[in-house]
Amino acid sequence: MSRLYGDPIEVWTRDGDPAQFVWRDRLYVVRQVLDHWVVAREWWKTSENDPGERRFWRLEASPDKQVGTYELRFDTAGGGWLLMRAWD
Amino acid sequence: MFAHLHVSSAYSLRYGTAFPRALVQRAAEHGMDILGLTDRDGLYGAVKHAQACLEAGISPVIGVNLACDSAARRITVLARADGWAALCRLVTAAHQAGDRGEPLVTRELVGRHADGLVVLLGPDSDVGLAAAERRDDQARSLLLAWRATVPHLAVELVDQYGYREAITASRMLALAETAGVPAVLTNAVRYLDPFDYQVGDVLDAARKLVPLHPRHLERSASHAYLKSHKEMAGVAARVCGGDARRAGRLLSATRDLAERCALDPLELLALRNDPPRLHLPEIGGDPVPMLRDRCADGLSRRGLERSTHARERLAAELAVIEKKQLSGYFVAVAGITDMIRGMGVRCSIRGSGAGSLVNYLIRIGEVNPLDHGLLMERFLSEGRVGLPDIDMDVESARRLDCYRAIYERYGESRVACVSMMETYRARSAIRDVGAAMGLPPHEIDVIAKAFPHIRAKQIRAALSDLPELRESGLNDRALETVFRLAEKLDGLPRHIALHPCGVLIGNAGLRDRTPVERSLLEFPMSQFDKDDVEEAGLLKLDVLGVRMQSSMAYTLGEIERVDGLAVRLDAVPHDDRATYDMICTGRTLGCFQIESPGQRELVAKLEPRTMHDLIVDISLFRPGPVNSDMITPFLESRHGWRPVTYPHDDMRPALAETNGVVIFHEQILRIVDVMTGCGLSKAEQIRRTLDTPEGRARVRVWWEVHVRAEYDRETVERAWQVLDAFGAFGFCKAHAAAFALPTYQSAWLKRHHTAAFFAGVLTHEPGMYPQRVILDEARQCGVSVLPLDVNRSGRQWLVERIGPRTEDLTQAPDLPGDPPADPSADLPADLPADLPADLSEGRETGGPARLRVRPADLVRQADPRLAELAELAELGRGYALRVPFSAVRGVSEAEVDRMVTGRPYTSLADFWDRARPSRPIAERIVQVGGLDALHGLSPGGPRWRPGELTRRDLVAQVGVLERASSSGVRGESVQLPLGFTEHIVPGELPEMTETEMVEAELAILDMDVSRHVVSFHDELLDAIGVVRSTELLAQRNGAEILVAGVKVATQTPAVKSGQRVIFTTLDDSTGPVDLTFFESVQGHCAATVFGSWLMVARGVVRRTGARAVSLRAVDCWNLVDLDAVWRAEGLPAVRALLDAAPARVTGVGGRRIEYANGFRLSPYADIGPAPGVRTPPRRLWHASPGSSGPGPTRRSA
Repeated sequence: MSRLYGDPIEVWTRDGDPAQFVWRDRLYVVRQVLDHWVVAREWWKTSENDPGERRFWRLEASPDKQVGTYELRFDTAGGGWLLMRAWD
Repeated sequence: MFAHLHVSSAYSLRYGTAFPRALVQRAAEHGMDILGLTDRDGLYGAVKHAQACLEAGISPVIGVNLACDSAARRITVLARADGWAALCRLVTAAHQAGDRGEPLVTRELVGRHADGLVVLLGPDSDVGLAAAERRDDQARSLLLAWRATVPHLAVELVDQYGYREAITASRMLALAETAGVPAVLTNAVRYLDPFDYQVGDVLDAARKLVPLHPRHLERSASHAYLKSHKEMAGVAARVCGGDARRAGRLLSATRDLAERCALDPLELLALRNDPPRLHLPEIGGDPVPMLRDRCADGLSRRGLERSTHARERLAAELAVIEKKQLSGYFVAVAGITDMIRGMGVRCSIRGSGAGSLVNYLIRIGEVNPLDHGLLMERFLSEGRVGLPDIDMDVESARRLDCYRAIYERYGESRVACVSMMETYRARSAIRDVGAAMGLPPHEIDVIAKAFPHIRAKQIRAALSDLPELRESGLNDRALETVFRLAEKLDGLPRHIALHPCGVLIGNAGLRDRTPVERSLLEFPMSQFDKDDVEEAGLLKLDVLGVRMQSSMAYTLGEIERVDGLAVRLDAVPHDDRATYDMICTGRTLGCFQIESPGQRELVAKLEPRTMHDLIVDISLFRPGPVNSDMITPFLESRHGWRPVTYPHDDMRPALAETNGVVIFHEQILRIVDVMTGCGLSKAEQIRRTLDTPEGRARVRVWWEVHVRAEYDRETVERAWQVLDAFGAFGFCKAHAAAFALPTYQSAWLKRHHTAAFFAGVLTHEPGMYPQRVILDEARQCGVSVLPLDVNRSGRQWLVERIGPRTEDLTQAPDLPGDPPADPSADLPADLPADLPADLSEGRETGGPARLRVRPADLVRQADPRLAELAELAELGRGYALRVPFSAVRGVSEAEVDRMVTGRPYTSLADFWDRARPSRPIAERIVQVGGLDALHGLSPGGPRWRPGELTRRDLVAQVGVLERASSSGVRGESVQLPLGFTEHIVPGELPEMTETEMVEAELAILDMDVSRHVVSFHDELLDAIGVVRSTELLAQRNGAEILVAGVKVATQTPAVKSGQRVIFTTLDDSTGPVDLTFFESVQGHCAATVFGSWLMVARGVVRRTGARAVSLRAVDCWNLVDLDAVWRAEGLPAVRALLDAAPARVTGVGGRRIEYANGFRLSPYADIGPAPGVRTPPRRLWHASPGSSGPGPTRRSA
């Protein structure tokens, strides 16, 4: 079962993919990227020129010995990262 | 280097966004040497792709993306190096198998054409969809089934970074590896740049007819652009899970397939081969001697066998034709024209083909080029790459019969129509984007129609440039996104349509060279447009439907039916004085080519007296000559107001026929030939080069080098000025000669068989004016108009005799005062109110005397010009036109058939029972008086008439009849007596007033039959001193006057100054009034001009010739508004409105388009009709219910 969060997080990337992130004061190290996809925003609802897109990563990461699966989202327009879901 | 094998261009209709040329250019920038094009559903862009590739030095791969088994599954099929013919045949078969416009294949169908093709199974294929759903076994068995059906197969992997796409691609790769099928990588390209995905989203919504919503879109696709090699290597790495060796194998397999499918572009571009690989028709024999024999026969049949000139010309033409291997084409076309004439269809050659003696000799055309100095080089020349086009005009109503006959004769597999791409322009783009954004349909309609016919990318510029749009409230932020997106659709193909005339004639191999689909009318239609067809070396014949030919055919039929005269139109002498007299008065409404306001002014100034004058007139009235002001110098020399001059005496032979002014292409050819000695073929090539500014620069250099040394500097320079200014604009004399004949014939018919002429024009609508204008012109010419009558009306407009013919009457000296010689017994009882004044005067209601100035008064004024007009007002005396059933809005053909065959009727119930109209149609027919005669109704006059049946009573009876029939009482032979079920008391409902009658007529028939709408406003118009059309000739030049009328035409054509000038024609019940609005007044006038139907305008009289008057408009008002003010506040208030100084508003903006030679063009100049109100409002004025309108009430009071 996954749980939904939507918490803002801090992320460090390597070659465009997330490498480490801090969520709820814990550092997570990315072990493996399971999936990565991109979703265009519903641009027609906004009137600014480039609403940007949302980039999603589904990845395995571990704060300690335990490995969990997490879904991260990056918004190109705002430049912020969110932790969307966790399976842990 | 990576090669994209799955690319959709803009020719994937309402899907792709980039044109082949742009894609090829981007691929070249990426350093790619192979590029595929795989448009959805067709090969519409294939030739353009091959052209672009050839120029960029890239090898094209061509394929198609087709729905397979269902619309939701798609496969991509590529042609292998030798597979172009197989691909064409597969596409044709797919269109045969699917619904029209929705081709569909099955695995078996693809298997039947599979030699020479490669099938790519991507994520949208059945295999891909099964893999995406993790049904690996099913995916595997489907893949094996495909492998058993087609010899060349590959699995196509796509990853556009969408949700789970990379995973699906990995599964498909694994599947391909275990099944031993090669896998290739593509990007399923839709866009040139990432950001184009917004346009793609709009197209998705427009194509699927749904509002924009995530659930309706194709998968999120900002990555579906033409990626570089490096980017694609990244995709390969993702798909292969980071395994570099596997990724390398995937990329090299893709490369291998691309190389095996790379085509030689010349395979498609047959014309560029040397010699060109032409696709010639089968004529059953060696074409060369066949054509020679036919020409020799022609020489003797045309009586030219002794003419050395003709023999030399024939030899020269045949030499060119045989060198170009075109003999078979001419033989085939001659066979077709013989066949069309044999069917009794009016048929004539048009265009440059008339310049060829061969066409004349083998009876393709009836114009002898030697008589008119026409040149073959304009049609076909040695130096010209490209194929000749023979154009035929046939009756528009029988054009499809001609097509069918051609198909029957040659067989479907050897013929196909040419297609054309309809592209997005401002209006269509706004419609589709508006729908995608979820705007209500009626709002979209209003917004779209507010725009003139401009390009989509001009939308926002037009909003700020044009005063009528600035005031429209469309400049709203809420619509900003709609307009921004609409501009992005600019020029994208929207749908494919049948080209109006092109027919390909080929041999049994035609379908190996072009894909063919079904058109709306089920004719086979090539997916190539007219340019592609020529590039592909396919020969075509243009068969154009001309409405005027149908109109004239109908007229001839009516003359024979009513008067028993069989007129042979082609034998009518071409020097009829009366016809030219009429043309010179400018009363040419309804005539072919010379009825527009500008042409009416021009013919009145030019005063044509011969066929050659008409040829010149038609050539002069083109955007080019108007724009470059060739008209003024020509008219001045023609009327002897200035001496005729030539740049050099050597040019006299070429220019003498047009008084020294260059008008025809043929003259340009002769000038170039005379001054350089280059020959006519080369001269034609030079003339074509003059079309573009760059071309003119090149010709300039060529000219300086090649002009003969004997000419001095000044002559060379003056001759160059002529070429530079007119070279691109002149008109092909052969075209004009072909137009002039029907122009003259239509004028002759109008002059001598007026009523029948108008019956033809009203029935086939060949012209630019709404029908009510033609109807009013008929009245001006003395023809009566009779209302719909179920017992007398026909399918189309019929002529009825209501008195003796004019020609019998013209003997009587002062006719209008006299009673008609034979007030004959068969005069219909329901004389309309607008019958000639002398006939209707005695009636009780009287009606307004519509002819405000009686012809007799005019004659008495002893002004010959007015006498001419008076004579014209008598042309149609003794005849009437009967409104037909087909004029009723919404009536179906089947209803018309029943109504016509059921005549005569004895009552409304009888009509209802036997003609079986739908209820709304029956009501409409009653409302416009179709049963007045039958039931003795006389509407107009008192509203309440107890005991007397009224139209409203009859409308109520239609309801009764419908209820009776729907309750099942209507039987085979049971005719219910009226009132059997419900009883309607006659006179229970009020009769219609004259206003209501006219409103009903406008709403149902689109025209005012019983009375002219303007007549309701006579009192106001007289009170404010409006000048009528008939009185215009008596106005002083420069006088400022008021005019009024119904707006009947609005145009914004190209004019010399580069302004957007609005030409508006008003019809004020005595004739047309032509107004010109220059940009200086459009600030305060444009909204009213475009927005009102009835108008009052103030203008300055401009006398432009002996009989030509037009007005320079200063201000204008909506007559309906003035009328409201008048009735609420009285005349002084109206006067105050008219005298108020116009508000100062900014005028028209927009940058002029400047030509290198100094001529300028407004970006809003337009050939078609301008936007704005063209139909009458539902109510004619702001009247309180029950009021009968202003005019008659006050008059009778």
